[in-house]
Parts: sequence; structure tokens; C-alpha cells
Amino acid sequence: MESYVYIALFAPLVSSLFAALFAQKPKVQLVGIATSILIGAALVASVILLLDIEETGKAVSVNLMDWIVVGDLDTKFGFTVDQVTVIMMTVVTLISTVVHVYSNYYMESDKSFNRFFSYLSAFVFSMMILVMSDNFLGLFIGWEGVGVCSWLLIGFWYHKKDETRDVNPSISPSWAANEAFIMNRIADLGMLVGIFLIYWNLGTLKYTEVFAHIGDLSHAMLVGIGIALFIGAMGKSAQFPLHTWLADAMEGPTPVSALIHAATMVTAGVYLVIRANPLYSQIPEVGYGIAVLGTFVAIFAASMALVNRDLKRVIAYSTLSQLGYMFAAAGLGAYWVALFHLAAHAAFKALLFIGAGNVMHAMHDELDMFKMGGLKKVMGWTFLYMGIGSLALSGIYPFAGFFSKDTILEVAFNEHTYGIWFVLWLTAGLTAFYSFRQVFLVFFGDERYHEIGAHPHEAKPYALWAMAPLAIAAVTVGFFKEDFVEFVTKFLPEYEMSEHTEHMVVILTIITTLVALTGIVVAYLKYAKGLKRDLEFEQNNKIYKLLYNQYYIPVIYDRVFAKPYKELSDIAWKEIDMQVVDASVDGIAKFVEKSGDASRKAQNGNLSSYLNWMAAGLVFITVIAAIAVAVQ
Amino acid sequence: MTDLTTQYLILSAILFSIGLAGVLRRKNLLMLFFATEIMLNATNVAFAAISVHLGDLSGQMFALFIIAVAASEVAVGLGLLILIYKKYGTLDLDNLSIMKG
Amino acid sequence: MSNILTVLIFFPLIAAILGLFVSQKSIRVYGITVAAAEFLLSLWLWMSFDTNEAGMQFVEKLKLIPEFGISYYLGVDGISLFIVIMATLMTLIGIIALSVKENLKNMIITLLFLEVAMVGVFVSLDVILFYVFWEFSLVPMLYIIGAWGGDKRLYASIKFFIYTFAGSLVMLVGILYVAYAYYSTTGVWSFSLTDWYGLILPFSVQKYLFWAFFLGFAIKVPMVPFHTWLPYAHGQAPTVGSVILAAVLLKMGSYGFVRFSLPLFPDASVAYITPVVIIAIIMIIYTAMVAYAQKDMKQVIAYSSISHMGIIVLGTFAMNVEGIAGSVFQMLSHGIVSGALFLLVGAIYDRRHTKLLSEFGGIAKVMPNYATIFVIMTMASVGLPLTIGFIGEYLSLLGFFKVSPLLTVIAGTSIILGAVYMLSVVKKTFFGPLTNPENEKLKDLSTKELTALIPLVAIVVWLGIYPKPVLGPINNSTKALVQLMHKKSITPKAQEIILVSKDKGVNK
Repeated sequence: MESYVYIALFAPLVSSLFAALFAQKPKVQLVGIATSILIGAALVASVILLLDIEETGKAVSVNLMDWIVVGDLDTKFGFTVDQVTVIMMTVVTLISTVVHVYSNYYMESDKSFNRFFSYLSAFVFSMMILVMSDNFLGLFIGWEGVGVCSWLLIGFWYHKKDETRDVNPSISPSWAANEAFIMNRIADLGMLVGIFLIYWNLGTLKYTEVFAHIGDLSHAMLVGIGIALFIGAMGKSAQFPLHTWLADAMEGPTPVSALIHAATMVTAGVYLVIRANPLYSQIPEVGYGIAVLGTFVAIFAASMALVNRDLKRVIAYSTLSQLGYMFAAAGLGAYWVALFHLAAHAAFKALLFIGAGNVMHAMHDELDMFKMGGLKKVMGWTFLYMGIGSLALSGIYPFAGFFSKDTILEVAFNEHTYGIWFVLWLTAGLTAFYSFRQVFLVFFGDERYHEIGAHPHEAKPYALWAMAPLAIAAVTVGFFKEDFVEFVTKFLPEYEMSEHTEHMVVILTIITTLVALTGIVVAYLKYAKGLKRDLEFEQNNKIYKLLYNQYYIPVIYDRVFAKPYKELSDIAWKEIDMQVVDASVDGIAKFVEKSGDASRKAQNGNLSSYLNWMAAGLVFITVIAAIAVAVQ
Repeated sequence: MTDLTTQYLILSAILFSIGLAGVLRRKNLLMLFFATEIMLNATNVAFAAISVHLGDLSGQMFALFIIAVAASEVAVGLGLLILIYKKYGTLDLDNLSIMKG
Repeated sequence: MSNILTVLIFFPLIAAILGLFVSQKSIRVYGITVAAAEFLLSLWLWMSFDTNEAGMQFVEKLKLIPEFGISYYLGVDGISLFIVIMATLMTLIGIIALSVKENLKNMIITLLFLEVAMVGVFVSLDVILFYVFWEFSLVPMLYIIGAWGGDKRLYASIKFFIYTFAGSLVMLVGILYVAYAYYSTTGVWSFSLTDWYGLILPFSVQKYLFWAFFLGFAIKVPMVPFHTWLPYAHGQAPTVGSVILAAVLLKMGSYGFVRFSLPLFPDASVAYITPVVIIAIIMIIYTAMVAYAQKDMKQVIAYSSISHMGIIVLGTFAMNVEGIAGSVFQMLSHGIVSGALFLLVGAIYDRRHTKLLSEFGGIAKVMPNYATIFVIMTMASVGLPLTIGFIGEYLSLLGFFKVSPLLTVIAGTSIILGAVYMLSVVKKTFFGPLTNPENEKLKDLSTKELTALIPLVAIVVWLGIYPKPVLGPINNSTKALVQLMHKKSITPKAQEIILVSKDKGVNK
């Protein structure tokens, strides 16, 4: 089995390096095909591992080589494939394979076709390290690695220029890339602190050893570690207040958004919390805090999605919102539920994004949904896929979201955290509304695209075929819930609903489905027949403007952090460094020069005055000597 | 024999002071020369007196050394004085400040 | 070859003198050959280095002035070995990438002299010998900045010289006092460092000596507020000068901390952790901010050097193996990465004769190779795992975390601020539309430049993934160093803070 671990891990690396060979050459179709096959090989290896672990129930571990060995720190490149890892691997490689195949279509006329595939495969490699590593430092490699790949891919169209926020809320791809990288770095500092705490208290960074001795630590220390690691998770999973980068990351090509900013990288934070479940189950108060934050983000992001007109940003906010759901579940101790929602969400969210990619292609990169409409006629398949995705996202039976999201609501109910339950329930309604607002705006109603002179067309057949696995997953994953539970609870703690909750399940399910259906119906009534814009409302309603401008948070960050930092830096350089530090150094030099200049006048060339000075000096020394003698 | 050391030393001090006053006040190089000679001889007197007082001949030997050195110094110094006078036409120190910094 | 260290020192010296008789035309080939031979010699030193031995190796001792215990005493251990190799490597790379046209011969001969001084500093075990090489290194650098520099080259070179010289004079007083203290306790004069290691000084003496040495090293590192010579020196120096200054000469200061301050004055070092580290933190954050404010590409790298040196100082004063080994590794990584960044800035300066960020933008399109290498070096500079920059930074912070978690978190903001200024340089230089018409016809890196840069890229990746060949010897020698400090320390606080690792290393 070890060889499959290596294939799963290194096939993406080989793929990336192969594509990198052609990075500066014009498009080579082989690159797209070869990378897709190699990522597919990783998928096959992951599935084989999945089946094997299913059968044997044993984790597969490999040790590659030593990495950092200093003092008592002994870090190896070690990889373990257990139940959680193999689920993550399968999800990551499945979505990656689909996205690689799809990118052959999406990027077909891009000049940097080869470079794109190199970055994309490098991302998969980093993500595999992240999920497969058997220690925290290895996780951190992947953690930073996906950050860099995300930076490269968001800024893929680096040549675009900076715009103002009114024209483009993300300013420019390169700006958005830097924002994402720096925001993640802030969180990474928290993660590093967590790693330092673990090392100095337990002397090891290996998961198995750390979690075996986690009970030896004081409660305060556990809380410290838990919070520090969660800060790391907040950055990658774009939780408030580090969330702004995710929406701006939509500047990247759409397959990137599907793979990185929906299905895989942003769920790394959730993965970390699930992975560290022995830690978090010891500190339920931190878990509760995580759940509250997740719940807040769920409704916070959903509220922004309600009014946004940008096709991709709506999906991005919905990702943010669904991440909130996952954190709510993980925080409340239902780790497998979080993992299940993670897997299901990966499938239908990637499907939605790829569908959005088709629409963008059809609309010549126009993203404003108010300029679309009626695309159902020309893009039947895309409509079908996005419809499935939206139904799954809204949590309608029998789609995947129904099973995973409902369980999260049940967990919230079961924990007697009715506030969380209510907010998440409300969010479910909002989710259904904005998802179908999107579907109706894009595919139904009047054909507004004529105004911008677009000639929409359906995507190529192979791109549509590539989407099929995701659609199938979005429809069927829910039915494997029991198997999934049985499989992962060999590793993760089980989560038992109380008897009271069991009784309520049917009612809860009905209530939730009702609110989702209400959302869909409202969206239908408002948008399906055609777009009637109320410009006065859009311009004058304060709440609308607040939501549309993302609560003004990007502007606030700009004013409170970015600009003052820039100004402070300028002061540090021009005022302090030049005027104070350097000036005082030069001041000392000038003092020496000036005093030399002043004493130069004593050198008047007159022998007589020299002799006078000499005599005075003689007298002075004699007096000093006399005093010295007298004192002694 | 009465010990006249104190008187000799007073004489030496007076001579040295005269010489020093000359060095400090005179502006003519030649006069400065004379003044330094007086100071040198004042020390010679002191050396000789103390030598006698201590019964140690090295003081008198030192005085002889000083006489020899002073003589050669005068020989070289006067030669230089003549050259300076020929070149600048004066021996007044106030006019000879070419080493001004 | 037991006297390989002597060969390493004197081979470039003889070659430099012979170089006077080489013709203008063949001087470049001559310089590259000599530097390459020297580099191979240093590699051979590494090959024959016993990695299981923590102490000094290849020791040579020849009495020079026996009355005062001054001798010609050389040796390397895991801490100095790689700095020596880096010095010879960076000299080679610097000569390969040389782009000066006038007085090429003088330049190459000066660089060879500089190499003598650099190798000498790191292999000297006699303190007087060390001091001689230490001061001698100023002269070639003074000449390089003063003769091939920019418009304000005289100001910059004199500032560099006098500033660092003033600091080292204070250090000299300290050196003489330690020698006197050694004489007082043992009755014989000795300037041998290994003898001094056995000397236990009372704390009241240590504290003055610590600051005397500190001043000399701090100006060299340079620590805030003694840093202002560096931006001028970098701003005016030709590319090769900046490369060697950043890669090797600054390391003399941080090496001094590890080699002198810690083992000679362990109690004072522990007692003054807080003030020193507060200075280090100020230098990390403050210079990172200043770097962000710069308008000149080279000044950004110059200030970023100071910021990274702050991490090195932080790791050194962690007083445990993780931190000190990390800071030694960070010296190497900073040398490679900042050297490469200066070469890259030099490459663009050769093309456009300007380093102002506002002149550029979008040049990733015309210079893809250049942009790729620059981004790799940027990532190494901000400490991305699997590049050389991560390991040193991580270990330094990890080590110091044991001493003070709070200060480490503050210092750790360097991973954020570093990303802020480096990514802003990358964005301003490479991204966005290509607006300046003068940039449209820029040529990508030439073969000469690639020859100089690709080895550095290879090292950045290799040591990022597999640092063991380098980190192993550093680890052994650092363990021995920490044990020595622990054994020597007299104050209870030092006993507590200096942390000997559980695993005692190969020779127990």
C-alpha cells in the first residue's frame, strides 16, 4: 500500500514539474492532458487506499526522510493515511482531476496555458502534503504551500492593472493575491505559536504522540494551544475577521476558484480542527467559541450574498457561509458531521463554480448577473448542473446538502444551543434564496445579454462530461451517510444524538426544508419572470448599501490598517530613520569636525604664543603633581 | 665648609625665571636663543650644586653634556637664524607665523 | 592535507598578488578560476570534515609572539565551516556576475583580498588574529564602495569604515581586558580562544566586557540604532559589493555573538537577554516598516537584511540548541537569499540604470526567467517552508519561544511584515500592465547571470528540503557550545535559562 501513498503524493509533483518545463512556451496541449492523467493517477491511488483502509481499518504510514533535526526537535517527512486523511485525499484528488480536465477547456485560449497547469498541480501537491502529513510541521509545509499556490493562481492574470474599488471591488488580481497571502500570514503566526507551544510542552510534533499525551497538559495550556491553532485555521478558512481575501480571490481563473477557494484549500482550517479533535474535545469552551464564530460567519456571509450581483462573489460568500456551518459542527464536537459536510460541500460547490465558469465563457467574462438572464435555452446542461448544485446547497432532499446540513442543525439542536440552531436555520433559508436568485437571474427571465452584445454558447462536450462526476456526487453522496459514519468513526469520536433529538428529527427536517423552500419560492417570485430593478432602493436603502459594500469592512481595513501602516512606515523612514537616527550619527561626526575646526585656531603659527602655552601647560602639570603629592 | 647648596639653587631658580621671562616676553628669535641659553645654564648650576651636595659626579657629567649639546645647538641654531633672516628679512616672531593652521 | 586552512587563507592572497601581472583581457577568467579553485578547496574541507566531531577540526597552531601568547591558531567547527564555504561561494558567484567595466583588474584583485579577510575571520581561533582579519576586511570593502560606487560613494564608504571601525575599537579594549583577566588568573598570557573558553569571569566583569564586545558586533550586524551605515553602503556599492557585504560581512557580527559573547560571558548574556532582544525586535519590526516605505528596490533589500539579521540575533539569544543552531542556519540562508536578491537588483540596474520601483511594473511579461527567480528568492526571503529561509527563521523563533513567548509573538510579526514589503516589491516590479515604454525591450537574464543565479536557486531548494548535511554539523557544535555555556555559567538564572538538550549529541 505504501507505493499508492507515494503515487498519490508525488504524481501531482511530477505533473507540476512537467508542466513547468513548458512554462514559458506557447500552449502545449500535451501538458493539459498529461497533468490531468497524473492527477487522475493520484485519484486512483487515493481510492485504492480508501478501499484498503475500509477493508483493514488500519492506517498506512510511510517515513520519507529526516527534515529538521536540531536539539531535541526531530521532524521527518512522515505521512500517514488514516480514515480522515483518505477521505480528504479522495475529495481533493477527485475535485482536482475534474478541475484539471475542465481547465483544458476553460484555459484553451489562454497564452499561459502551461504555466496554469504547473501552478494547479503544485497546489494539489501542497494540499496532499497538508492532509497526509503525520505531524504539525509537515502540515505547516502544506499550509504555506497551498498559500503560495493560491497567491500564484489568484494573481495568474498579473498583467491587469489596479482599479478603484468602485470599478472592481478586488482592485486587481495581483492586489487580491497579495491580500490573500498577507491575511493568511497573519493567521499562520497564530498557527506557528500553536506549534511552538506543542513542541515546548510535549517535545514532539507528531500527531499520534501529541494526542497521546495531550491529557498531561494543564487546561490553560490546552486552551492556549487550541486558540492558537484555530487562529491558523481562521486564516485559511477565511473566518471573520480574516475573511475579506476570499471574495477578492475570485480574481483568479474560475477553475482555481472551484478547486482552491471552494472545495479544498479553504476547508484546510476545518480539517485542522477535525484532525486536532482530541485537543478540542478537551476544551469544549473553545469549541463553543468556534461554533459561535462559525455561526456568525454563516449568516454574515449569507447576508452579503443576498444582494451581490457578481456571479462568482455570490458563490464565494456562500462558500464562506458553508465553512461557518462546518466550524459550527466541529466546534460542537460533531467532527464527523463537519467532515461529511466538507466532502459534500466540496462536490456541489465545485460544480457550481465550474458551472459559473461555463457561464463566464459564454458571456465573454461578464460577471454581472443583471446582464445575463434566459441562458437556459442555450446552456441546458450548465443549467442542469448549476440547478443540481444549487439544490444541494439549499439542502433539498435528496441532494447531498440535505443530509449534511440537516445533521449540523440537528447537532446544534442536540447541544441545546438553540441560538446557534436558529441562526443556522435562518441562514439555510437565506442560502436557498440567494442560490436560486442566482439561478433565476442567470438562466430565467428576459435575455438581457443582448444589450451587451454577447453570443452565449454551451461549453464543449468534454467539459460537460468532466462535470458529471461532481453532479453525480452532489446527488448521491447523501445516501452513503451511514457508510461514511461507520468508516470515519473508527478514527473520529462518534456523535450520539439524545433521545429527545431523535424524536424531534422529523419535525426539524420539515422545518428546515420548509424554510429552504420558502427561500426558493421568494427567489422565484422576485427574479424568475425577469429583472425589475428598483434603482432608488439600490441607491438609497442603507441596509442594501451596507450589504452590497460588504459592511464596508474592506474599506475599514484599508483605512485602519493599510493606510496608517503605510504612513507610519513613511514616518519611520523619513522622520525617524533619516531625521533622528542617521542625523544623530552624522551629528557626532559633525561635532568632531566642528570641534577640530574650532581648536585649529590655537595653531596660529606664532612661536611665541606656543611657548606661552607650553609654559602654562608646564605650570598646570606642576600644580597637578603638587596636589597629587599633597593628597598622598 | 658651609653648605651653599640652597643659595646655588636659589641662584639657579632666579636665572631660570629670567630665562623663562625672556622666552615668554621676547619676540626676537635671537633674544629667545639667549633666553634659552640662560635657562640651560640655570639647570647646569643646579646640576653642579646638587652633584656636589650628594657627592655624585654624574650630575656634573650631565652639566658637561648639556654644555656640549647647547654649544652644538647654538651652532646649528644660529646658522638657521641667519638663513631665516636672509629669507624673510626679519627675526620678529609675530611676522614669522607661516605654520598657521 | 592537514594545513588546509592555511591554504584557504593564503591561496587567494598569493593569487591576488600574482593577479597584478595578469593582463586586463584574461583577468576575468583568472579571477573565476582562482575563486572556483578556492571554492572547491572549501568544499574539500567540508568533505574531509568529520561530521560526528563537535569540536574544532583542522587545527593549526604556530606561536607568533610567545611572550604575549599570540599565535597563528586556526580551526573550524560546524558553526564556522559553512560560513567559510558560503564566503568562498559568494565570492565566486560575485566574480562570475561582475558587470563593472572599468578597472576590472583592480576589482578582481580587491575581491580576492576580501576573500582572504573573510576566510581568515571565520577560521581564526586566536583573538588577535581574528581581530586583524576583522579590521582588514574593511579595507577592500572601503575600496570597492569608494571606487566603483554611485554618486555619494565617498560619503558612504567613509561612513561604513569609520562607523564599524569605531565599534571594533571598543571591542579591542574588551579583548585586551579579557587577555589581562586571563593573565591575572593563570599567570600566562594567551589570546587563544579555546583557552579563554576555560576562563570563568565574575559577573561584575562580564557585564562590562559583554557590552564592549556587543558594541563591536552590534555595529557590524548592524543592530538598530547603529544601522544607518548599511543603507548608504548598499545604496552606493556596486552589485558585487552589496552581495558580499550582505552575505558575508554582516555575518561577522552575528558570528561574533555566537563565538565570543555567548561562551565567554554566559552569565552576562543571559542577564541581558531582555535589552538585547528588545533591540532585536525593534530592528525586526522597525526596519521592516522602513523597508516598506522605500522607493528604491535595492534599499528595500538592504533594510530587509537588517530585519532578517534581527531574527538571527533573536535566535542567538535563545540560549538553547534550537535557537542558536537556527540562527547559524539563518546566517547561511540570509547570505544566499539576500546575495541572490542583490544580484537580481543589480541585473535590472545594469539594464535600466535605475532602481526606482516607480520606473517598473509588469516586467514579468518581458523577463519571465528573471521574475521566476525573483519570486523564488522572495518566497525564500519571507520564509516559505521547503525553501532555505524557513528553517532558520522557524528554529530561531522556536528557540526563543522557550525564553519568552510574548516577545516571540511580537518578533514573529516579521513573517507578516516581511511578506508585506517583499510582495509589494514583486507587485510593483513585475505585475500590472507594462506601462513604461523603456521596459518593453528589456532582455531576460543572460547566460552569465543565469550561471550565477541558478546555483543559488538550487541551494535554496536543496537546503530547504534536505538541510541535514548542513544542519547536522551545526547541531553538533551548537550542542557542545550550549553545554560549555551551561558548565561555565555561575549565576542561577543562567543555569536555568541555558537549556542543554536532552539528546547530548554524538560525542558525549
